[in-house]
Amino acid sequence: MKSKRRQNQILLLCVLPALSVYLVFKLFPAVSGIYYAMTDWNGINREFGFVGFSNFIEVFSDRNFWRSVAFTFRYVAVVTLVANAAALLLAVAIESRRRMKGLFRTIYYMPNMISMVIGGYMWMFIFTRVVYYLADDWGMKFLDVSWIGNPSYAFVAIVVVSMWGSVGYLMIIYMAALQGISPQLREAAQLDGAGSFAVFRRIVFPLIRHAITICVFWTLNSAFQVFDVIYVLTGGGPGRATQSVALNIYEEAFTGNVRFGYATTKSTVLFVIVLLVTLVQLRLMRRKEHEM
Amino acid sequence: MSKNIRSALIYSALTAGMLFWLFPLLMALMNSFKTNGELLVNVMSWPVEFHTDNYLRTWETMSFLRSLGNNILLCAVSVSLIVFCSALAGWKLSRTKTRLSKFILGLFVFSMLIPFSAVMIPLYRVVLVLGIKNSLFGLGLVYAGMGVSMAVFLYHGFVKGIPFEMEEAAAIDGCGTIQAFLRVVLPLLKPITATIVITNVLWIWNDFLLPLVVISKRQHYTLLLSTNTLFGQYSSDWTAILSALIMAAVPVTVFYAVFQKRILKGIADGAMKG
Repeated sequence: MKSKRRQNQILLLCVLPALSVYLVFKLFPAVSGIYYAMTDWNGINREFGFVGFSNFIEVFSDRNFWRSVAFTFRYVAVVTLVANAAALLLAVAIESRRRMKGLFRTIYYMPNMISMVIGGYMWMFIFTRVVYYLADDWGMKFLDVSWIGNPSYAFVAIVVVSMWGSVGYLMIIYMAALQGISPQLREAAQLDGAGSFAVFRRIVFPLIRHAITICVFWTLNSAFQVFDVIYVLTGGGPGRATQSVALNIYEEAFTGNVRFGYATTKSTVLFVIVLLVTLVQLRLMRRKEHEM
Repeated sequence: MSKNIRSALIYSALTAGMLFWLFPLLMALMNSFKTNGELLVNVMSWPVEFHTDNYLRTWETMSFLRSLGNNILLCAVSVSLIVFCSALAGWKLSRTKTRLSKFILGLFVFSMLIPFSAVMIPLYRVVLVLGIKNSLFGLGLVYAGMGVSMAVFLYHGFVKGIPFEMEEAAAIDGCGTIQAFLRVVLPLLKPITATIVITNVLWIWNDFLLPLVVISKRQHYTLLLSTNTLFGQYSSDWTAILSALIMAAVPVTVFYAVFQKRILKGIADGAMKG
């Protein structure tokens, strides 16, 4: 057996490439962000000064920022709930079919392959052109509204496109979990006289709890950072009505203001929010998993 | 309700949903072959004649081949870095049982909770200081830095499940660490490598915000950046925009058609272990 020291030396050698890119491009930015959050750094001046907590104090009274936080929470709540429910429903429905399973799976997953930028612009065409033809020529009068210009409808449009882009991914995970359940278990329950809803509640649901935890975690995490869909569809508008936190930060740093320090303060606040929400979610859902 | 009726209902619901899912893609495809006048008259009709003018026009303006090449270069650099660095690190971390190895693994795992938007701006500064703004190789390094933690974690878990004997035999045969890694270990890691390659290619290929921030020179634009600028240029000339969108979507769609089974399996595996 080689000595611990020699082992550690070899280990360091092997870990070095991964560790160095990781330190430079992930850990260092994350840690130094805390420092930049307390500076008045902007994109123009080379030098910048330490301003202590004044950025944080400013954030607290920044109405546009908190409006974007409120919007993001609304978006996260709706998308997490609806996307997971839809994905689970699809997974159960498709998994129990005998034919066309492969085709359904392929098509429903397809939007995930295409970037939300491309998909978003395609939907933009639907929402600004196609809907009005459907309303006039096909009698679908309910489509005759301003999907991009009206804040409430724009919210619906954003949710629809996000769902289109993410449900397939969640569905694949749920399907994999469903395939892990042995058919005998279900048959046994059915023989005992359990209806299909009872089978789902008592047998299937507890066994896919783990997948639900993963999927909810994933949706929460990605929904809090939503950028592409909104950037493409509404750009945060009308006004700032559909601006997410990520968009608000992007605007602060890269368009107009170039207040990099202050933008970092905002992103630190976002980080804390996401961290708290996901930790609470994991705690709650893991505990439920273990109770089973 | 009888079983047959129920089954028929579910099939029709799934088919209707599928058509809705395909709707934007079909509309984009159909209308990209029309003239502007034709599109204005009716967006729902089949094109009278398949005009390829739109494609010829946007092929030039979005520098399709150059953008595609940039995407491929970016993906190749970052994914090969991620695979090589993480496999080596994940393997050794799994095989070494010291306090240091635990600490390093913890360091990698810890960061998986940090969202991208929290590091974006400080990362931009690192990019500026290192002078790699507008460099595709540099951007590849950035992706590697952000992608390794997850990959190290996956490799670490996978290595636990493969027997130690072959490496021992290689060591007795006088193989050095790196040689043993390349000749013996790396081939054994193939299944998890496939998963890692697929998830990372999809992530990097479709990522928008990071290139938007780091790349500002036209000649280094990725497909998404080129498509995005086109939208500003043509404002409401939908026939041109739609043809560009279709072209930008073709490479991933082909990738999906060819590797579908592996992709779907890789996605599920990657998520369940992560």
